[in-house]
Amino acid sequence: MHDLSDSATVDSTLLECRGIGKAFGANVALQSVDLSVRAGEVHGLIGSNGAGKSTLMKILAGAHASYDGEIRIDGHTAAIHSPTDSMQFGIAMVYQELSGVNQLSVAENLFLGRQPVKNGIRVDWKLMRQEARRQLGELQIDVDVTTRLDQHPLVIRQMVEIARGINSGARLLILDEPTSALSPPEVRRLFTLIRQLRERGVAIIFISHFIEDVLEICDRVTVLRNGRKLQTTPAIEVDKHALIHRMLGHSLEGEEIGYETGVTLPPKTDAPVTLEIEGFSAAREFKDVSLAAHEGECLGLYGFVGAGHQELIHAMAGARAIDAGSIRLNGRSLKPGNVHQAVRNGLVMVAADRAQTLVHQAELYKNITLAFLRRTIGNFVFRRREIDVAHPKLQEVGCHPPVPELLARNLSGGNQQKVVLAKWLSGPMKALLLEEPTRGMDVGAKDDIMAIVRDLKNKGASVILASTEPELLLAHADRILVFNKGQVVRELVDEPVDKATIMKYA
Amino acid sequence: MTQTTDDKSTSPVIIAKLKQMKANEIAPFISLAVLVAFFSIVVEDFLSFNTVTSVLTQGSVLAIAAVGMTFVLLCAEIDLSIGMVALLSACVCGELYERWSAGLPPETELRGISLVMCMIAPLLMAGILGLASGFFTVSARLPSFIITLAMMNIADGLARYITESQLHKVPPALNSLGNDAFSIGEMTGNESFNDLFIPYSALLAAVVMIVGWLMLQYTRFGRYIYMTGGNREAARLAGIRTGLIVTSCLAICAFTAGLAGLLNGGRLNGVTVDQNKDLLLNAVACVVLGGTSLFGGEGSMGRTLVGVVTFTVLSVGLTNVEVPQMENFDLLRPFLMGIVLLAALLINGYLAKRSKTT
Repeated sequence: MHDLSDSATVDSTLLECRGIGKAFGANVALQSVDLSVRAGEVHGLIGSNGAGKSTLMKILAGAHASYDGEIRIDGHTAAIHSPTDSMQFGIAMVYQELSGVNQLSVAENLFLGRQPVKNGIRVDWKLMRQEARRQLGELQIDVDVTTRLDQHPLVIRQMVEIARGINSGARLLILDEPTSALSPPEVRRLFTLIRQLRERGVAIIFISHFIEDVLEICDRVTVLRNGRKLQTTPAIEVDKHALIHRMLGHSLEGEEIGYETGVTLPPKTDAPVTLEIEGFSAAREFKDVSLAAHEGECLGLYGFVGAGHQELIHAMAGARAIDAGSIRLNGRSLKPGNVHQAVRNGLVMVAADRAQTLVHQAELYKNITLAFLRRTIGNFVFRRREIDVAHPKLQEVGCHPPVPELLARNLSGGNQQKVVLAKWLSGPMKALLLEEPTRGMDVGAKDDIMAIVRDLKNKGASVILASTEPELLLAHADRILVFNKGQVVRELVDEPVDKATIMKYA
Repeated sequence: MTQTTDDKSTSPVIIAKLKQMKANEIAPFISLAVLVAFFSIVVEDFLSFNTVTSVLTQGSVLAIAAVGMTFVLLCAEIDLSIGMVALLSACVCGELYERWSAGLPPETELRGISLVMCMIAPLLMAGILGLASGFFTVSARLPSFIITLAMMNIADGLARYITESQLHKVPPALNSLGNDAFSIGEMTGNESFNDLFIPYSALLAAVVMIVGWLMLQYTRFGRYIYMTGGNREAARLAGIRTGLIVTSCLAICAFTAGLAGLLNGGRLNGVTVDQNKDLLLNAVACVVLGGTSLFGGEGSMGRTLVGVVTFTVLSVGLTNVEVPQMENFDLLRPFLMGIVLLAALLINGYLAKRSKTT
């Protein structure tokens, strides 16, 4: 096992990235980024969505086999092209979605894949438990190692995963949004652990949207924007406002320019309420949320990943069960958790994940007629008639190519999302629920999708748009509810807002 | 390929792709052709009306069961109980027939409503067992694999209990359905067709298959089956009651299994508890041989037909292969059956995969 204290000299540079670049087709995600992280340093990495943070981290974790530039560890070139390479160079990644096995004990999770073995065959349970207790004890994580992992709160599961990384010899830990789903006392607990690791000479890259957290725990902060590194500064030399400012930058391209200076939200509409929810609660996701969306209004829901607004969209569509709450559409009560009823009545959802909303091996026309098959085609389906129904819908949403016989899997993400929208156009659309509808799309596709949405809104549909991208909301929302840890913390209406303000409230 | 991928060239590329897709649809026909060619070399007079008649007679029971299995596999579930449900419905039919016949004066046959009832009741019962499997699969959110495994044992046990493991007679009507045939030679008056017979059972199988095909291809229900099997979450989010679809498919499957059981009982002129043992695996093999995916959403009744024919040709062909030099060749037949099946499945699987990745 690697002895951490030996290699820990505070000034030594552990990781050095030089000129890292990565492009996906014509889309440049990272462009000659330099980054150096010292042993015993907590290094913050911030940037808005699409700035390149996750691409950079994935390269370090070995998730991308090819990239430009050079990675050096301890001054030697490190060829990282697979997760195994990454592990061998002592890099451990703790993703937002934890990868522990919930059904196994804490000790088993700690030794996942490398259990101590007796006589070459049997798992040495006793030794494993002893070692687990010792290792967690050293990190002052106080849990019963024989209990199942899923009995513990998120922060413990996170710390167990960190401990697993450390105990398998990692010297560089990458934490992706570690605090987004934690309560304040849990954050304190995690920070205590991070400080201990720092003292032991572990280098930590801390990726977060929560600027306060970054400023509190990090020694230095690197800001990425549009795939480029802007600067690395000691954390004590900057404040929250300056960082947000730099993160967003002034030289934004395209339609985002206007929203940098901010927009003025219109006063609240007096159009009738279309969709109304009361007291929506689901364990760990959102708590006691009530909101009302009006006819012809786009209601924006803003929050960081894990703030609960995205899950709320699914719950309103009936796609996931809730613990408590009621929902009314045009004054009529709906049964929560019943998609069938919601769709029939014109409450429809477009989710970020097309794997959930498209049948990929089926033709486009089958996907489009699926939701309102009886209404549009009848009880007997004929290919010709379906194509006649689907073709104008594909043209209406600007799907390219508008060929109904194509298989859904052969389209690009943006076009797939257009097909999902086209599916809803045959029915009575009263309220349109959008969860991150433009995730992973280029600017052109984004504009196309949002133009269709705007059109539907102008026709009187009530749109609820949940996103983690402030730009999207500033460009399209008439009113914004800011979410934090599963609750609405602020309503923005009839006032000037810019990106920095809405991020500040989250 | 030196095509640039600007927008205008995408459509031809994709249409070319559509054409390539056909490769995996042709694969099952290739297996069938190879088998027919092989047996016509090895077996004397294989290409004859006799063989056609044997294939039709032997394939009917399997074809009917395979229709229901196609429905279930298309929505990404499986029904392990069909063999035993077939057995149970034949047993119920035999038991009802013997009971009701016992009350009649000697030398008179059961007729009218009672006769119809002793064939309808088992079918209804099979359908209800299927509904139960479906209900428990959906409500308990357990794989149909497990639920129908339990149902298999339930049906098996009931069949044994009802018949006390004794041979039961079945209505003569079933016997006639299972064994009689039209002679095409007599019907057309053309002597060259003298060896060609169309069994009633094959007609029944054809009717079931056509109904199944129409349902899958041309009804809303059929479309929902494909989409539920293709991506259950997407179907659910489109407002489809996927639980209802799965339950219906399991009910349909149990119903056709019951029908297959009755027909088999008629063909063998009586029902014993050792019937239909191979029905489950043979039906699954047929459906998959035809190229229907075990993972749902891809396949069709036409493919199942090809699968059934391939399977039956294989089994008829193997029975006719003679190797006088080998004393125990008969015992080797199941082994050869397995080898050929394996080869055909591997080839189909390979072609399907290749046409998907190119």
